Amino acid sequence: MKGTTAHIVRTLLLSLITLFGVSVLIFLMLRVLPGDPARVLAGLDASAEQVDRLRAELGLDQPLLSQYWSFISGVLQGDLGTSARTSRPVSLEIVARMPATLTLAAVATLIGSVVGITAGVVAAVRRNSLVDHVISSVAVMGVSMPVYWLGLLLILLFAVTLGWLPAAGAEGPTSIVLPAATLGAFSTALVSRMTRASMLEVLGQDYIRTAQAKGAPARTVIVKHGLRNAFIPVLTVISLQFGALLGGAVLTETVFGWPGIGRLLVDSISARDFAVVQGLVLVYALLFVLLNVFVDVLYVVVDPRIRY
Amino acid sequence: MNWPTARGRTFAALVAAGLLLGACSFEQDPAASTGAGADSSFSIAIGIDLDTLDPAGQTTTTVQNVVDYMVEPLVKEQDGQIVGHLAESFQTSPDGLTIDLTLRQGVTFHDGTPFNAEAVVFNLQRITDPNLRVPLGAPFEVMQSVTTTGEHSVRIALKQPSPIFLKALTITPAGMISPASVQAEGNTYDSYQHPVGTGPYTFTTFTAGQSLTVTKFPGYWGQQPHYETVEFRIVPEAATRESLLLAGQVDMIILPPVSDLQALRNNPEVNVILGESDRTIYIAFDNVDPLLSNPQVRQALNYAVDKQAIVDNVLFGAAKVVDAPMSPALFGYCPTGSYGYDPERAKQLLAAAGAQGASLELFTPSGRYVQDQQASEAIAGYLREAGLTVKVTTSDWGAYLGRVNAPHSENTVDMHLLGWAPGYLDASVQMQMFRSATHPPTGLGTAFYTNPRVEELLAQADREIDQGAREQQYCDASKIIWEEAPWIFLWTQSFPVVHAAGVTGIATTPTEKFDALYARPAS
Repeated sequence: MKGTTAHIVRTLLLSLITLFGVSVLIFLMLRVLPGDPARVLAGLDASAEQVDRLRAELGLDQPLLSQYWSFISGVLQGDLGTSARTSRPVSLEIVARMPATLTLAAVATLIGSVVGITAGVVAAVRRNSLVDHVISSVAVMGVSMPVYWLGLLLILLFAVTLGWLPAAGAEGPTSIVLPAATLGAFSTALVSRMTRASMLEVLGQDYIRTAQAKGAPARTVIVKHGLRNAFIPVLTVISLQFGALLGGAVLTETVFGWPGIGRLLVDSISARDFAVVQGLVLVYALLFVLLNVFVDVLYVVVDPRIRY
Repeated sequence: MNWPTARGRTFAALVAAGLLLGACSFEQDPAASTGAGADSSFSIAIGIDLDTLDPAGQTTTTVQNVVDYMVEPLVKEQDGQIVGHLAESFQTSPDGLTIDLTLRQGVTFHDGTPFNAEAVVFNLQRITDPNLRVPLGAPFEVMQSVTTTGEHSVRIALKQPSPIFLKALTITPAGMISPASVQAEGNTYDSYQHPVGTGPYTFTTFTAGQSLTVTKFPGYWGQQPHYETVEFRIVPEAATRESLLLAGQVDMIILPPVSDLQALRNNPEVNVILGESDRTIYIAFDNVDPLLSNPQVRQALNYAVDKQAIVDNVLFGAAKVVDAPMSPALFGYCPTGSYGYDPERAKQLLAAAGAQGASLELFTPSGRYVQDQQASEAIAGYLREAGLTVKVTTSDWGAYLGRVNAPHSENTVDMHLLGWAPGYLDASVQMQMFRSATHPPTGLGTAFYTNPRVEELLAQADREIDQGAREQQYCDASKIIWEEAPWIFLWTQSFPVVHAAGVTGIATTPTEKFDALYARPAS
């Protein structure tokens, strides 16, 4: 465990370099985007003087290096700046939207993991049976179906036709069902395919035959000997998928009017609200770093043979 | 905490009981406060997030529409006339340089502050404060001073006569907020997010990206609205808004998918209002380009496009083909002419100008206006039939503006599609697009069009106090512009609103706002 702690500390220190790189990259990427942010923010009707005033107010008339310096020195003091679009602090904007994104990502990942792993194990154990074919076909559909389309279909069925669930918004516990199911469909499909493939490989191993030969119950063989050994690649897929969802599932959030950070990011990019985009991308990078460390620890828990 | 088990249990039980009681009273509160109208909440699904609730910071019509529930202007526009609102009456001096306002008495802001002359002075000074960002503030810069002349009277002095100043006072940025409120409710002078006005509804809650709720203001000076609360729900996807309405989860939506307009009209559960709008959609030519500087070529492209067919088939009827360089809703409009679909004539004109087979780029936004990119594709199809080579390109809105707003020396756009909706119904706003003073990067006169006679007429109209003469000046300028065709004149967009058939009292204004303040159940 000592090695693991050292590994975590090393990873976190290295990630500081990553975060610094991310901050430089996003800063420069925004500045090479075409379109004058002052003009976009000031609106179509604004006069040239108004646009100039706004440019000065946002510091966009300063040299790049001093713009970057004021950005990064703010970040180091915990100040992500002020949104040009809403004149509210960026940190408040992000904090207001983060819980919705975290909840949706967590529930969708939970659905994806539970349903996906179960389906994957069943498909692997009953290889080439009808069940396997059905699960595999549904999984292919799930991976290839656009969330936009699936989301609208679910809304039509469960909100309009049956009237069981809210069509949009994030009010009340039932409102998460449709967006989480839509988002979870993709994860489910991905996880079940990965579980099936990984299980098939493990089930062909000698120790499985040994376990069966010594008369261990089928359940024990599949779950304890099989799934546990097949779990590492599955865990990787789940954590990658969760990481991707943390960035906000823009399309799902748009279809369901879900107030997450994905929509905030896209709105801010098209409004050229640099402070919000920079802040969001940094927070996102930080979350990804933390998630990676967490998964590293989980690997050790799942597979004690892993040493760092 | 290491309490003895029994005590711990008692404590837990007490906490639970307290929570339950709290939950009960919380559940009962709204019901108790609901007055006569039992089912007393109205919900509206809108498409865009509310960026700022500060009246002065407004840019977007829909956001202004929401702010209008809480904050009211001094004067309003009704059937083309300016009528008193928070200012009961107004008097312009014969030289047009001073305006005397007599304010309505007995009006209070939501926080109890009296609405009086001082409040008006505060607000008008705030929207002309160079340190505050007021995107739509240009028409107020003509103010020289604003002073109180009594508890309920105000005098505004202008630097020069401005025939549009009173109209400009109708827009949301000129709405009256309580002077005390810029330092209360978490507001500051330049970050104002909890509006306190005099309107029929007070601000209640706002969840970014999700919804805003307002509650009836019992002390409202005017007619009380029917619904106790109104909820604006932010739903960016048009098809989802439509589903919300069809599922009965909201009472009204704006901008449904236009392709579903017909189906919605046939549905007895909902009513469709296809509101008139002052938003003109056009394709601006680069009028300085060697090829497109020839008016014959520009006219040819106007004749080449069957606008009515595009309105019918691509916009599903949600637009009206224009017959002037502005919407009929504007003061100063007169029917100017028509470029009927005439492909033969287009070909002849192109041949006469030696422009057959020319190659042009048509730059279009995507998703900014109703069916914009689809319409551009259709227009390109017609232009190809006239023998031109046309390439349609698009980009995101920020980059789009950056490219069409570049100074001419760096400008590479042959033709681009834009929509323009004056915030108040006056030709002066529309006509900015045809003046050299607004050529990019200064403004959005992105056609780089100018004509000495037009400049002269528009400069006259800027200061003309006689509204009849002003109307004629705009009409004369329109005729020259129409003949010279700096744009492909397309259509004015409609503003569709759909509401449950069980409600009534809903209308739209030509400035693309919905008017549902006095919505009520249909009896």
